[in-house]
Amino acid sequence: MVKKFTENLTSLCDAFEMFKASGKTTTVAFENDRLTEIRQGESAGVSIRAVKGGKIGFSYSSKPGEVDETAAAAIRMAPYGKPYNFAFAPKQKSKHTRTYDKRCEKLNVEKLVGTCLKVKDAIKAIAPEAMAECSLSGGSSNTRIETSGGQDCAEQESSFSYAVAAKITEEGNFLSTYRFRSGNELIDEDEIVREAQEAARDFLLARKNAPVKAGKFRVLFSPDALIDILMPIGVSVNGLNIEKKTSRWVNSLGEKLFDERLTLVDDPFHEEGPSGGLYDGEGLVTQKRALIEKGVLKGFLHTLSTAKACGHEPTGNAQRGVSSVPMPGNHNIIMAAGDVALSKLMKDCEDGLYIDQMLGTFTSNFLAGQVSGNVSLGYAVKGGERIGRVKNCALNVNTFDLLKGHIVGISKEREWVGSAYLPWVLVEDVSISAR
Amino acid sequence: MKTLEPQTRVTSKSTLDQRGLKSQLTELVKRSGADYAEIRLEDSRETALSFMGKNLENVSEAHLYGGNVRVLVNGCWGFVTFNSLDELEERVKEAVRNAKLAARLMNDKSVLAPITPVEDTVRLDLIADPRQVSLEDKISLFGGYNERILGRKGITSSAIRYFDRCTRLYYANSDGTWLDRELMDMGCGISALAVKNGITARGSTTQGGRNNFGLFRNLESEVDQAAKDALEAVDAPVVKGGTYTVICDPHLAGVFVHEAFGHLSEGDNIADDPRMQQVLKLGRKFGGDYLNIYDTGLDVGLRGYLKYDDEGVPTQRTDLIKDGVLCGRLHSRETAGRMGEQPTGNARALTYRFPPIPRMRNTCIGNGPHGKLEDLIKDVKEGVYALDSAGGQTNGELFTFTAGKAYMIRNGKIAERVRDVTIGGNVFDTLRNITGVGGDYHVRDGAGGCGKAGQMPLPVSHGSPHIRIKDVVIGGK
Repeated sequence: MVKKFTENLTSLCDAFEMFKASGKTTTVAFENDRLTEIRQGESAGVSIRAVKGGKIGFSYSSKPGEVDETAAAAIRMAPYGKPYNFAFAPKQKSKHTRTYDKRCEKLNVEKLVGTCLKVKDAIKAIAPEAMAECSLSGGSSNTRIETSGGQDCAEQESSFSYAVAAKITEEGNFLSTYRFRSGNELIDEDEIVREAQEAARDFLLARKNAPVKAGKFRVLFSPDALIDILMPIGVSVNGLNIEKKTSRWVNSLGEKLFDERLTLVDDPFHEEGPSGGLYDGEGLVTQKRALIEKGVLKGFLHTLSTAKACGHEPTGNAQRGVSSVPMPGNHNIIMAAGDVALSKLMKDCEDGLYIDQMLGTFTSNFLAGQVSGNVSLGYAVKGGERIGRVKNCALNVNTFDLLKGHIVGISKEREWVGSAYLPWVLVEDVSISAR
Repeated sequence: MKTLEPQTRVTSKSTLDQRGLKSQLTELVKRSGADYAEIRLEDSRETALSFMGKNLENVSEAHLYGGNVRVLVNGCWGFVTFNSLDELEERVKEAVRNAKLAARLMNDKSVLAPITPVEDTVRLDLIADPRQVSLEDKISLFGGYNERILGRKGITSSAIRYFDRCTRLYYANSDGTWLDRELMDMGCGISALAVKNGITARGSTTQGGRNNFGLFRNLESEVDQAAKDALEAVDAPVVKGGTYTVICDPHLAGVFVHEAFGHLSEGDNIADDPRMQQVLKLGRKFGGDYLNIYDTGLDVGLRGYLKYDDEGVPTQRTDLIKDGVLCGRLHSRETAGRMGEQPTGNARALTYRFPPIPRMRNTCIGNGPHGKLEDLIKDVKEGVYALDSAGGQTNGELFTFTAGKAYMIRNGKIAERVRDVTIGGNVFDTLRNITGVGGDYHVRDGAGGCGKAGQMPLPVSHGSPHIRIKDVVIGGK
């Protein structure tokens, strides 16, 4: 070939977008007190959306150097694709900056194994009968997006995450208490060990079982459980569900839907946030935006395509892996803190339940607001104190009702759960089924 | 039936060149310096399309290409993945370095259960090859279903996705196993969505398999039923929460056995945990004499079919519960080795990016003595008939899954439709509470898969007859 195919892309198709990504990760995992894995992974790939005859084709390859072939395949797919009725990203530059931690590029495997051993010792010192788990993973990635609209943006990201757990499996009692966090900087060993100690202390508390009967309860949701409760909001602001009119909020912008203490902001720039970035998956500059502000619906999450279809402005919320087409999604979800200390919220929970982990809620009918699932880690609260673990009970709530008129209080304290930064929320009238 | 060579659909020569590969890989694993070494190379081509509402949302061709090296030194693992095959020897060295490091820091020792090495070539044996069906035909077939759904009064939107993936896998290990395999995997999910008064409800149907594109043709009546289900569900009340006798249809019972018992049987849960070994002691009674649970890789055509697992171990039918008594588990060579048991051919890796771990294939409840649905239902005063699945999850002891559709049972008869039926329970209690196992075993695949340790979606199957379970907790209003 005299000239590279991709250099001619502009003449071969009407418009294109090329997304290149490469990354390196190192993972060290301890399970059941033993080192089970040292994994080093390298990945790379290119995906191309090409427009021909007013329609879009998509192709992806993880084979190094296979850019021309991928472009040819995308052009070949185009006649069958969906209409190109928006425009790939124009030239634009983000005014923001983002933390990059060079230390994540070359993690010291020996040191990571050492941290795992410290985690194990820390857990055993508090809960000798528990088995320890610890998974540490980090790395760096590079992405570049070029479009026929003139955009050419590249981003380098670093990442690090840990998950630690104390667990036991015995007759009539499987228990795992865990802590985890992801960030875009190396996380101090001290924090990881401290959180392992927390998980071990929870483990001791959860070893005692407490009875629970079906009924209506005051429930204090931890940030980990709250993320399940917020899922119906996430799917309802998703631009795809707005475009297809399967969200109930198609015409609800500006309406007060929730308690005024509820504010959710999508922040791609949060310095501790593991997600986000300066550009979205289509090369648009990202923005910090309110989705729910003081209970009022303020915005949706859009790709270029869903924004166009809905007649809205693009929001810079295209999320994608290198092998998939962009879909609307959030960056970091930041929920506004409340004005009550967590210790006070626990007192106000009175004789209720503290729910920390849910199981299988993703199978619920989120678009209808339903969140249902087994409580996989919950505690009975008596006189404002956790007294033991409740088991074999299920939760069923409708988020749209629950967060409208049933919030008792929201904590000042917040924690990261994946890419969400959430407080504890105390609600009342929660229906619990139990045997 | 004819054997087909994989087609190259991207313009360049991008399929791995098999000539020379065998000697190169077998040589590399032999002189790695590790106690055990294996190399996996993978070259996959996928065609996918999806409709959302009236749009053909996406149509794509993808090429997944890469490999990994896994080595064992003094009982400790090193694992390295890559896209480029240029520096294979260096990758092997890297894996060995990591394994040596682990061995220096840990006194723990993995032992692989011995196997008889195999050399084999596995070629596709297809009833109808999706690669012989043009993209136009696929679009027109699924587009036809989409129009059928959207043409139905009251339907708001639709979601259809289809994929076919043809994979060429090369595998060599230092025990002398060499495999050159072709695998086909296909699936589709078809959903109708209805929105009314702020309520969204869904009706769905699925198909999947490994050897027959014909499965996706002539689905008109299933598609019409999905639309009807969505329209019925949107008007149905949410089920009243409580404790019920539940009858599960074969599909949902299959999801139940997968979630509730299949995952528990995976050897990596058991091998390292002495307490778990007590809980899952072979010979323990888990259910009625009529309860039989097994996992098999032998069902040709199902997505859970595999001739060899990803450690080169021939698959088999593995009985897990026979006549109510625990009799087996799902092993990789490592978990079998640690427990002094036989490998069962359950070591599977989603792609080259992951190491093989114990996973399911086709997980089933075997036929029982309690007849058909009518026989199981006739003595139920008030209960729930739950069909199809919207997915599920387990933590080993507790599980949750949601029915695709459900009806109340009143006085031995199927009564009104209810929606959003989520079933939660304790695995051990629920197995004991299975009071009836029908004789109408059925299995149907979908487009989804099983997730574990970040490896998702792995193609699996699950089948069962109708079953009846007492005292099931259902979350609801």
